[in-house]
Amino acid sequence: MLLEKKLIEQILDTALETGADFSEVFIENRNASVLQSVSGRLEKSNNSKSFGVGVRIAKKTQSVYAYTNSKNPDDLIKLASDLSKSFNDENKTERTPLMELEVGKKHQVKIKPNEVALKDKVKLLQKSYKAASSYDEVINQVMVYLMDDQQEVLIANSEGRFVTETRVRVRMMTSAIAADNGMMQTGSSGDGSGKGYEFFDEMDIEGHGKEAARIAKTMLYADDCPSGVMPVIINNAFGGVIFHEACGHSLEATSVAKNASVFSGKKGTKIASDIVNAIDDGTIENAWGSANYDDEGYPQQRRVLIKDGVLNSYMIDKINGRRMNEEPTGSSRRQNYKFSPTSRMSNTFIDNGDSTLEEMIKDTEYGLFAKKLGGGSVNPGNGDFNFSVMEGYMIRDGKIAEPVKGAALVGNGGDILHKIDMIANNLERQRGMCGSASGSIPADVGQPSIRVQAITVGGKKKGAK
Amino acid sequence: MNIEKLFSRASEKGVSDIQVYMSDRTNLSIEIFEGDIDKYEISDTKSLTIRGVYNNKMGTFVTEVLEDDIIDEVIDTIIASAKEIDSLDDAIIYAGDKEYKKLDDIFNENLAKLDVKKKIQTLKDMDKFLHEYDERMSVVETMYSENTNKVVLKNTKGLDLENIANSAYMGGSVIVKDDKDQRVGFDVLISNDFNDFDIKKIAKEIADNALAALGAKPVPSNNYEIVFSNGALATLLSAFQNVFSADAVQKNMSLLKGKLNEKVGSDLVTIVDDPFMKKSARSRSFDDEGVATAYKALINDGVLNTYLHNLVTAKKDDVTSTGNGFGGSVAAVNLKMESGESKLGDMIQSMDEGIYITDVQGAHAGANAVSGDFSLQAMGYYIKDGKQVRPVALITVAGNFIDMLKDITMVGNDGKLSYYGVTTPSVKVKSMPVSGS
Repeated sequence: MLLEKKLIEQILDTALETGADFSEVFIENRNASVLQSVSGRLEKSNNSKSFGVGVRIAKKTQSVYAYTNSKNPDDLIKLASDLSKSFNDENKTERTPLMELEVGKKHQVKIKPNEVALKDKVKLLQKSYKAASSYDEVINQVMVYLMDDQQEVLIANSEGRFVTETRVRVRMMTSAIAADNGMMQTGSSGDGSGKGYEFFDEMDIEGHGKEAARIAKTMLYADDCPSGVMPVIINNAFGGVIFHEACGHSLEATSVAKNASVFSGKKGTKIASDIVNAIDDGTIENAWGSANYDDEGYPQQRRVLIKDGVLNSYMIDKINGRRMNEEPTGSSRRQNYKFSPTSRMSNTFIDNGDSTLEEMIKDTEYGLFAKKLGGGSVNPGNGDFNFSVMEGYMIRDGKIAEPVKGAALVGNGGDILHKIDMIANNLERQRGMCGSASGSIPADVGQPSIRVQAITVGGKKKGAK
Repeated sequence: MNIEKLFSRASEKGVSDIQVYMSDRTNLSIEIFEGDIDKYEISDTKSLTIRGVYNNKMGTFVTEVLEDDIIDEVIDTIIASAKEIDSLDDAIIYAGDKEYKKLDDIFNENLAKLDVKKKIQTLKDMDKFLHEYDERMSVVETMYSENTNKVVLKNTKGLDLENIANSAYMGGSVIVKDDKDQRVGFDVLISNDFNDFDIKKIAKEIADNALAALGAKPVPSNNYEIVFSNGALATLLSAFQNVFSADAVQKNMSLLKGKLNEKVGSDLVTIVDDPFMKKSARSRSFDDEGVATAYKALINDGVLNTYLHNLVTAKKDDVTSTGNGFGGSVAAVNLKMESGESKLGDMIQSMDEGIYITDVQGAHAGANAVSGDFSLQAMGYYIKDGKQVRPVALITVAGNFIDMLKDITMVGNDGKLSYYGVTTPSVKVKSMPVSGS
């Protein structure tokens, strides 16, 4: 166990002494490694070990947080005591005794990171490097990253929750640079999982290496993207980042509870066109954004966010739940013990529709096909979002035409969901890292290919067909 | 951890040189939401970054577990890493410089000593001021964050250095609403002197900017003259700062490769790295490798003067390190574009038809540090015949950062240290493609 049960109880009790109504201890022990190869040579092999304890105390909607990496019982009790001084109320809340320690059993891994020899990890990097660098002579730089992370958490609170689980994640990314005539373009591709190293047996490592090189080369010879408002077909898989940015963040209680979201107070109302169904599911077996428990110690859940265009559920953490008068949805997450947890996405995606990608393209006279997206961001305060297109093509007369580079898409989350007029049947999810109030966390995005009737496309070329 | 024990065990196991970099950070963060304390966080964390040389290769281990019983694991892991590393880079542990500048204005004892009640009260005053400022004020959050960062560096070449700095920021974030529109505003002030936090001034700026943006709409897609505010330029400079890294240059990942002593910007552009900047918690007298930091111009009157180097990149280029070895790679300490002489108002007035861009967003994905290209969401004001006509939002501005440096025609006198840790003035740029309606 990461800390003695008795000490955990003492911390929880100390925290409640000044009249708070909730106390929580989050303990984390973590081992991670990052390998980086440049031009096929292993340049970095960084290993890290972290340990820390976070203590959270709340009264109604007011909460305070402290963290340390001390294991010393006196330090930890003093920390809880110092923190509790934020409250001053004679009415004390009685702590519910801790339940029997519950161990998360889902998302088991076969090969843990520390069971793999460094030599064998290096072989994985080499595989991708070879595929990418031999793709074409314009590829002048290839970098491959291999990351693994094993996080053991123990969460206890004054309501009796007492759970632990070990979360393993692995990921490999390849990025290639193509250069010619003083110009440079980049491409990247990779995959990751909530499995152990057995994942790399099923991953098409060479395929991703080649894909990074292919994108870099394609973009090197692509035209600048024209600017203007046009229909855009956003491809499946990482295309789902549009829902993640445009709507997902604005459905998190972090902004909803404070009336700081365009979707505050919209539950039960139509926020998207009829064909849109959106889901946030933290229970998918060994998925990148899954876990047994959220970071408040409650079971992860499957949440139907939008059903047939109607807002069905927000993603809610404990404290914001109090503010909203709603039950938490097992959505509370944090990067590590250095962050107080709050409502976050897990594996979020738009569900299948009944069109096909081919039909969509055929049905579009002029527009942009955003084949691969980069990342994006949103301001939940008014729903304005942006994201970048890593690989794009113009669509002319119902056919995919020339590749274009440097495209950005901007729009408004409240608006865009109504403008989705076709959804294909090729749902796929893809790995991402999501940054927000409680740090950077692994989250899947996903969708089938979708068509948005009209969206502002920003590129370097002046508009026109 | 007993450092002497770590050093002697390393030597017994065949590690030729070893260095520890100890970081001790404390933080206090407070947020007020609708008059009440919404966030109160305190923390104290320590970590060790240990770098060891074995067979002329460098292994790295970072740990927050500081007990002596992990010493063998640390050293064994470093050796295992060094055995697999086949990069041609030299592994260097530094013996030190003759002199390190004494920085006495980067740690302000009074800041940490100041009663937390005073800090909370100041935030509450700011909250009240914002709420009463205008009836369209819908959501208000005010925030304060204070950091102290102590660094100690020791190695087997005899180096023993220490640096302590603190800093705080105070600011606010608002949502304003009228019948038709909803806009947001956010800004912070950064200093290690609490007296610098003129909350009325910053609150007024945040509120005025958000209110002025109500009713913002796109402009028709076209090429426009552009003035970037100091804050908008900070986002861009921060996103592209890696072009100055010698590591990026040597890996063929910087457009500045082969451009030393060449003209890469307009005469008005001077960009420096100032590791001694007052009141910046980033300021340091030595880098993570123990090399003395130095003030230097990266671009001087438009001419590229130097790249940023650490020990390894410097050796490759046969130069000396510029004291920019941070985080296992190369980074600037306090990047600053020098202010010019123009007033912001004059720059705006000089535009026939243009956009004054107050904010750009999405730089983490929409700005490519390798190609220099960017296409970013922007907001600001439409300017016609030198006059501010209306607010603009949901547009994108696209360009290439290196090309843009050449197209800067006016530089403001309003340099400001931003949230990103870079200091920038506002600038006027000839013309850029804007996508809107």
